[in-house]
Amino acid sequence: MKSYDVIIIGAGSIGVPLSYYLSQRGFKVAVIEKNHSIGRGQNRAAIGGIRATHSDPSKIKICSRTLHLVRSFKETHGYDVNWFQGGYLFPAYTEKDECALKDLLRIQHTYNLKIYWADEEEVKERVPGIFSEGLRGGTFSPEDGSASPLKLIDAYGCLACLHGVDFIFDEPIKTFKKASDKIISLETSKSVYSAGLYVDASGADTRDVNSRLHVEIPVFPESHEGGITEPVQRFFEPMVVDVRPDKGSSNVYFYQNNEGQIVFCMTPEPPMKGKDCDNTSDFLPMVSKRMIHVYPRLRALRVRRIWRGLYPMTPDGLPFVGWAPGVTNYFLLAGMCGQGFMLGPGLGEMTANYLADNSEDFKDILYHLNPLRKFESTEMLK
Amino acid sequence: MQKRIRKHPILSIPDKQTIISFTCNGNVYQGIKGEPVASALIANDIHILSHHPKNHASMGIYCANGQCSRCTLLINGKPQKSCITPLEENMSIEILDGLPKIPPDDTPYHGKEQKEFECDILVVGGGPSGLTGALECAEMGYSVIIAEDKNQLGGKLLLQTHKFFGSEEACYAGTRGIDIAHILSEKVLNHPRIQVLLNSPLVALYKDKYAGIFLDYKRYGRIHFNGLFVSAGAREKSLVFPGNDLPGIYGAGAFQTLVNRDLIQSSQRIFIVGSGNVGLIAAYHALQAGIDVVGICDILPYVTGYKVHADKIKRMGVPLWLNHTILYAEGKDILEKITLAQVDDAFRPCMNTTKTFAVDTLLIAAGLTPIDEFYQEAKRFGFQVVKAGDASEIAEASSAMVGGRAAAQELARALGKKIPPPNDLYREVNLLKSKPGKTWDIPPFTLTEKFQPIIRCSQEIPCNPCVSSCPVKAIRLIPRRQDLMDIPEYLEGCTGCGNCVSICPGLAIVLARKISDTQAEIVLPFEFIPEFSPGDNIPLRDMEGQDVCEGKIHRIRYDKKTKTHLIHVYVPLDNALSIAGIRLREAKEDDFFENPAPEYFPNDALVCQCERVTVGELIHFIQEHHVRDMNQLKVLRAGMGACGGKNCSVHFPALFKKSGIDIQTVTPMKYRPLSMEIPLQSIINEEENS
Repeated sequence: MKSYDVIIIGAGSIGVPLSYYLSQRGFKVAVIEKNHSIGRGQNRAAIGGIRATHSDPSKIKICSRTLHLVRSFKETHGYDVNWFQGGYLFPAYTEKDECALKDLLRIQHTYNLKIYWADEEEVKERVPGIFSEGLRGGTFSPEDGSASPLKLIDAYGCLACLHGVDFIFDEPIKTFKKASDKIISLETSKSVYSAGLYVDASGADTRDVNSRLHVEIPVFPESHEGGITEPVQRFFEPMVVDVRPDKGSSNVYFYQNNEGQIVFCMTPEPPMKGKDCDNTSDFLPMVSKRMIHVYPRLRALRVRRIWRGLYPMTPDGLPFVGWAPGVTNYFLLAGMCGQGFMLGPGLGEMTANYLADNSEDFKDILYHLNPLRKFESTEMLK
Repeated sequence: MQKRIRKHPILSIPDKQTIISFTCNGNVYQGIKGEPVASALIANDIHILSHHPKNHASMGIYCANGQCSRCTLLINGKPQKSCITPLEENMSIEILDGLPKIPPDDTPYHGKEQKEFECDILVVGGGPSGLTGALECAEMGYSVIIAEDKNQLGGKLLLQTHKFFGSEEACYAGTRGIDIAHILSEKVLNHPRIQVLLNSPLVALYKDKYAGIFLDYKRYGRIHFNGLFVSAGAREKSLVFPGNDLPGIYGAGAFQTLVNRDLIQSSQRIFIVGSGNVGLIAAYHALQAGIDVVGICDILPYVTGYKVHADKIKRMGVPLWLNHTILYAEGKDILEKITLAQVDDAFRPCMNTTKTFAVDTLLIAAGLTPIDEFYQEAKRFGFQVVKAGDASEIAEASSAMVGGRAAAQELARALGKKIPPPNDLYREVNLLKSKPGKTWDIPPFTLTEKFQPIIRCSQEIPCNPCVSSCPVKAIRLIPRRQDLMDIPEYLEGCTGCGNCVSICPGLAIVLARKISDTQAEIVLPFEFIPEFSPGDNIPLRDMEGQDVCEGKIHRIRYDKKTKTHLIHVYVPLDNALSIAGIRLREAKEDDFFENPAPEYFPNDALVCQCERVTVGELIHFIQEHHVRDMNQLKVLRAGMGACGGKNCSVHFPALFKKSGIDIQTVTPMKYRPLSMEIPLQSIINEEENS
């Protein structure tokens, strides 16, 4: 039986950066993954946006850290991960949206986030040709941006390997062996492994993994669809988020990545519950209509590929970060609500520091994202 | 002077065509209304269609079939594939330099609802198997929609100017592919239960039992269906060698499209890689179009196509370089020369055997891969689905036509129809797609004063038109196997009509008779425009392509039905029995030169042509990043390009092998829709602003 200091379940957006930061802190780490390589769960489906401009303080803190890490990634580690600081732009077309966005702005300012109200002219300058009828301006956060999920996780994977992390692929978890309130070992389809500490980073599979430990946390995956176009010369910089609800969707967002391709995504309404990742016929016409409505100039672009990915949702739209109820050596990083990619690096680094030296810095997050919390507030822009 | 074919022995040159003007990079050119933009450009000698964003490398046409995207350029300001966009009056075309700039069209959204279709059975692809399959389904009472990505039905049949093998009853053997296409599409277009959507490729299959379709390359619609019939054909495999991206290197099928469909004199001197039927026939088609074929090479020590095809190519004077591989191609912006090398027993090139040929075109006929993504998706979704033709298994169109009917019956059974399994049809399919069998010795012939057929058909292939075309039943198949693969032999009673000579798809039959003690008369088939007349002397060759003697033309007949000339020649009696054909081209001394110290960098060869990723980069990445999943190669952008990884992913297994990794342990590429890029504007059905 192979033993480690820490075993991470899941080689995805959360588990891979965490493994690297843990190994840096001197832990002997294994990452156990049911798929054949890193990032084949939902990281492959992430569209690459990274913003700190949330409404929840914990998420703001974590993503601010991610932004710092990703922005300096090439300098620090030598890997180009296609970072592009284009900002996020939420245009408002109704009074209601303007009010909501401005309310949010006030909250965001209390956390010192760089975000401001851009007037109509500025919005039109940042997104040349944006649909201007009824446009009232919008919030703009210049420090947010995007990176390639594929490249970032590959880079973290390489760094982790260089630091001695063992990646164990093709081994779904079968059972855990427990003694009173501790996990002694876990058994996969092929072998048995043990560690002092276990971390759940299993994304959309978290309920399945946790059911083997009789740990109940409410994470229910929903399916979202996204797509990408051919590359063209850059013609706008920010991630554009149109928050107006429409038939079948509650918002649409898109940006031009570092390759010149437009990456787009839509939040279906009502939600598509479950883990089905096969495309259906409604998405493409619906998302195309919404995109051209808000940005007519996109019409000439050819769609190259569409896909679905899973958002492991929690009742209040906030992740679960903390010790699992009833199991003392099991740490949960679960229910990222579709934001695992932008939470992963910051959360990985902070979690590693907390596990290494019990850093105070993490306590507010542990309190706030406690898996046993009551679900009182809801994240405003999920 | 436009590069167009103005005379052709088989194809008729339309006399009514609308000549229109268009501009390319600001210069005015002429083209034919409705022909693909790529063809119009090549007719005007424009072969470089874009420069890649990565390093400005020039790119030209590759598949001519909408499958890759190397012919993308700006048409009226928008990036489009030029091989599938019809030319219109005053079109403004720009050669793409790097990434395109999108036009600032800020007109507000004015889309329309998508078109909705409904049918029992959706047939993907109106080629040989799709057409017979659709007819069979419709005859059983099902409503059928055929989604066809070209502007006419027939698929690859439309490119096949040669006569078909097989049997007349099962698959129109002895008839030319183009004529079969017309017979079948007539039937389909007149069938009340079949709806045909031309110029409309399927772009996606959805879990909710809809298919997304790109209607007329302009609009988007969806089709609800019960059963799916996948007959989408095949795509040509690319080959990985340094220089493989130069304009002028393309698929043999693309060449046939340019030459036989669009009547473009695309080249002057071509070389062909691959001695399968596709390569051999492409050589023949090139010669018919007046394009010189400098040679054909194959890495294997034998011809992989039918012997009769190879024999006729050799007789015409095209050298076959067996045991030779293409080492690299060179040229400044466009193909100028290629270098071959002989291979050893392990197929490694021997550097002291290299030969360089100056050519303007290199055709890749290195095999085909089935286009069966929709079949695989449908299976995964649990739909009722069958596949037929090349989408099922690469074989001759003759077997595809019978296979289409069998697959249709299979689908009907899956949909609940109470019919027995189509075992007889399957037996026939298997026969028609048989690889060539045993080669027998040809018994010696003796000349008589009466005409008799000299049949040089010694290799078992599924074919019998000589037997069925003989009005006096003077030819039979020797019943060794008791099937279509048997070898024909002459019995007795020949009337000298020449039917067997003109119908034989392999041109393997001549008539011969003794006319005096010193002379004989031979009747030879000829599928070219004769540039000689009675009284002239012409060079004659034996079966193996060796010169025998000259013959004096006595008479030229023309068989309208088979569009074949029958050339009567007088030859010396002693030579009579070895004459098999007419030499068309002469191998010249300067066809190639030895090139003993080539600079060869195999790691520079491109694997992913869309994103320009090389062998060296991929192998390095596989090793350094411990890659065990082909999807990880996307980090290098391999497979992320416009073709959706359809062309490069076939090479990935070989790269893993080269990297020392057992391919069985590697996860394959994941297919995702769309199978073809489609503009957002089309998806929302905004009419084009022209």
